[in-house]
Amino acid sequence: MIIGLNHYLLISAVLFALGFLGVLLRKNTLVIYMCLELMLIASTVALVAFSHFNDTLDGNVFVFFILTIAAAEVAVGLAIIVALFRQRHTVQVEELNQLKH
Amino acid sequence: MANLLFYTFTFLTLAGAALVVVNKNAVNAAMFLLLSLVGTAGLFVLLDAALLAFVLLLVYAGAVVALFLFIVMLLDTTPGAVKPFKPATIVAAAIGGVLLLVGVVSLHQRAQLPTAVTGAVSPTLKNYAEMLFTTYLLPVQVVGFLLLIAMLGVIVLSKKFADPEDAK
Amino acid sequence: MEPVQTALAILLLPLASATVIALFLRTRGALASWISTGAAGVIAILSLQLILGGARNFPASWEWLKLGDLVISLGIKFDDLAALMLFVVSVVGFLIHVFSLGYMHDDQARARFFGGLSIFMFSMLGIVLADNLFMIFIFWELVGFSSYLLIGHWHEKSSAAEAAKKAFIVNRVGDFGFLLGILMCYWSNGTVNLTELTAMGAANQLALGAAIPLLLFCGAVGKSAQMPLQVWLPDAMEGPTPVSALIHAATMVAAGVYMLCRIHALMVFEALQIIMWVGTITALYAALCAIVQRDIKKVLAYSTLSQLGYMVAAFGLGAGWVSEGVKGGAMDVMRLAPDAAGVGAAMFHLTTHAFFKALLFLAAGSVIIGCHHEQDIFKMGGLWKKMPVTFVTFTIGVLAIIGMPGLAGFFSKDAILYLAMKNDTKVFAVLAFTAVLTAFYMVRMWKLVFLGEARDDHAKHAHETGLSMTLPLVLLAVLSVVGGWSAVFGKLAGSVAHLVPEAEGPVHTTILLVSLVVMTLGAGSALFFYQSAPTDSLEDKSRFAFSGLVWLKESFDRLYNYYVAKIQQRFAMLLNFLEQIFLAGLIIRGFAGFVGLVGYGARAFYTGSLHAYVYWFLLGAVLLWAFATGLL
Repeated sequence: MIIGLNHYLLISAVLFALGFLGVLLRKNTLVIYMCLELMLIASTVALVAFSHFNDTLDGNVFVFFILTIAAAEVAVGLAIIVALFRQRHTVQVEELNQLKH
Repeated sequence: MANLLFYTFTFLTLAGAALVVVNKNAVNAAMFLLLSLVGTAGLFVLLDAALLAFVLLLVYAGAVVALFLFIVMLLDTTPGAVKPFKPATIVAAAIGGVLLLVGVVSLHQRAQLPTAVTGAVSPTLKNYAEMLFTTYLLPVQVVGFLLLIAMLGVIVLSKKFADPEDAK
Repeated sequence: MEPVQTALAILLLPLASATVIALFLRTRGALASWISTGAAGVIAILSLQLILGGARNFPASWEWLKLGDLVISLGIKFDDLAALMLFVVSVVGFLIHVFSLGYMHDDQARARFFGGLSIFMFSMLGIVLADNLFMIFIFWELVGFSSYLLIGHWHEKSSAAEAAKKAFIVNRVGDFGFLLGILMCYWSNGTVNLTELTAMGAANQLALGAAIPLLLFCGAVGKSAQMPLQVWLPDAMEGPTPVSALIHAATMVAAGVYMLCRIHALMVFEALQIIMWVGTITALYAALCAIVQRDIKKVLAYSTLSQLGYMVAAFGLGAGWVSEGVKGGAMDVMRLAPDAAGVGAAMFHLTTHAFFKALLFLAAGSVIIGCHHEQDIFKMGGLWKKMPVTFVTFTIGVLAIIGMPGLAGFFSKDAILYLAMKNDTKVFAVLAFTAVLTAFYMVRMWKLVFLGEARDDHAKHAHETGLSMTLPLVLLAVLSVVGGWSAVFGKLAGSVAHLVPEAEGPVHTTILLVSLVVMTLGAGSALFFYQSAPTDSLEDKSRFAFSGLVWLKESFDRLYNYYVAKIQQRFAMLLNFLEQIFLAGLIIRGFAGFVGLVGYGARAFYTGSLHAYVYWFLLGAVLLWAFATGLL
């Protein structure tokens, strides 16, 4: 069977759905963050697949940017989580609910 | 042969992702994320984007996941004290999962996209550089600026503010 | 100075005086009184200059408000009618200002009083000089306001505050009809400019009908206190005596008659008939009520009502008898046109009445001051020895009003009686009888106040008042004597004087005889009937007649009070109830409550749980995606 674009897109979609499900289900803030990264990876797979099957390099170059953004985002996000941990001494999402009405 | 590699790498990716979602231990989850990244790198190689595969492994697997592991171990969470799911959560999660599944299936059914590969543009470093420094020059500069801001932000966020009341 | 500038100076000077007093001189009564009187003096001089200078009908109009097709402009129409009225207002006004210097000398709120007088002068001069009906209406309301301010000058007395309220509200009822008339005039004729209306009337282009003049007459009914809105004038005597003299005798109440003369072109025969009868009935009614009054000012108030009725009746009598044939000689189409003789007679009587009524009121004020603020005529008496100047001037005033030949009132009253005899015999009979009653109650008052012996301590120790009060009395007495002579009135009134009907030949003798008989009958019976006793002789001798006349006066007040208390108040309470429930409750609080509910609902979303937010995010993403794929 020739592996076509649809297969790669299916992989990307399933990866994205798994990441989203992880965000919904996990209670540890760090694991939620990891699942966010999974979603980003899914988008990179889709981009590279598209650019391969359309004979351009734009998608590939865009992945560079996504990687950069993801790195910066992880750095800042983890710094926030650490600061939050110092204040509240927990990373369980259910206990980080001070912003309610 | 190519198909076999494809299926292997796909299995690695998806299994790693599923285990990230399921595993209770945060460190285990990070390791499975790493596995998933390796699978993705393989997929990139299959898609003729070897440079990207290496960059992915270097940056993502090497730096980002390492950072994750650092923080997980720093924050020293005990994996045992997790409360069981409330019934409402289970119902909502099930509905969410079904919705996502429907999304995936419908995406697969509707996508009618070209499959021919001609290999007109070869993914060499020279081509990448040409694109980065001509068409995408502005995003490159902006991203550089963004990295600077992120660095500053992290420094500010992780600074310990001396509380006068704590000092007493 | 250009006539336009003079006219503007006359109009704006009292406004400036009032502004200065209101802003800076609230507590400095003496300075305020001098400024106000000074302004009145300058106005009098400028008015004389303008009147005797001869400039008439100069163009002066400024566009003020433009709303689509409607243009409201402010302007000055200075013809002979306005000149005559200007003379009356400015000269009498100035003399009353001088009198007030003495009368209000010891009053605490003197500055407020003089500020009110200045505002009144501004408003009244505005009515006199106005050139269109909208402008008249604006100043009409201002005059009503000044009247309210001045009647309620001693507002600590609840009766004064009530009287001021009553005056304003009753006037407002009349003004409602006035406004409707103005609107209808504008709608039918396209203009409210008096010059244009007169021109249209001469060219037979006016939309004729009794509605417009009758509605405009409503304003005169309110302002000039005709039936059925006459109830406010007797109560208005709560104000200080100069106010009663200026506003409620000489000028403001005459504004109604002046306005009628201004809109003379709009009149039709049916409207004039109604106006005539309203005036006649008012004259008779007021004269009957005056016979049983105890308060010196109330007698004069009812006298004013009666004389105003004369003026209005005179205006109404100027109808019919002038028939116009169609051009070309065919006499079968004839139209009864309003006869300007009514205007002449009414304005003549207005002028002479201003003089002698102001004189009478000021003399009454002098008497009141002399008797230490006593106003009951049965507690006075024998004042002819103690207050000679006041006695002489008051007597001249009484003689003028009852029609002594040679004095001002004689000529004007004769003109009215002649007009009545010529046009409508029934009205003539009623007016002649009213003249008898006029003589009767005026001489009654004169005898009880001045003749006989003093019946009270205050009257025993009465003394003549100062020069500031007696000098205006003397000047007004002079005007009361000469005001009717054709040399004087002709000079002042110009073409208006030509409109006054003059009897000739045997008719002249008849009228003269009628006046003399009427005067002697009334005066003689009063002199004979009333004894200088502390009680009313009529009450003593005929209980029935006395109480009947008292009931006549009370009946209107009782009727209006009943209406206000029982009908209007209940309706107002009902509206209040509906407003509380529907407007304040249901709509206003309902809306606020609804918004609050929405706020509560929105607040419920903030659970603080990250997972909840992610679920909402998923829902939003699904909706977007369903929308994008065409499912929704």
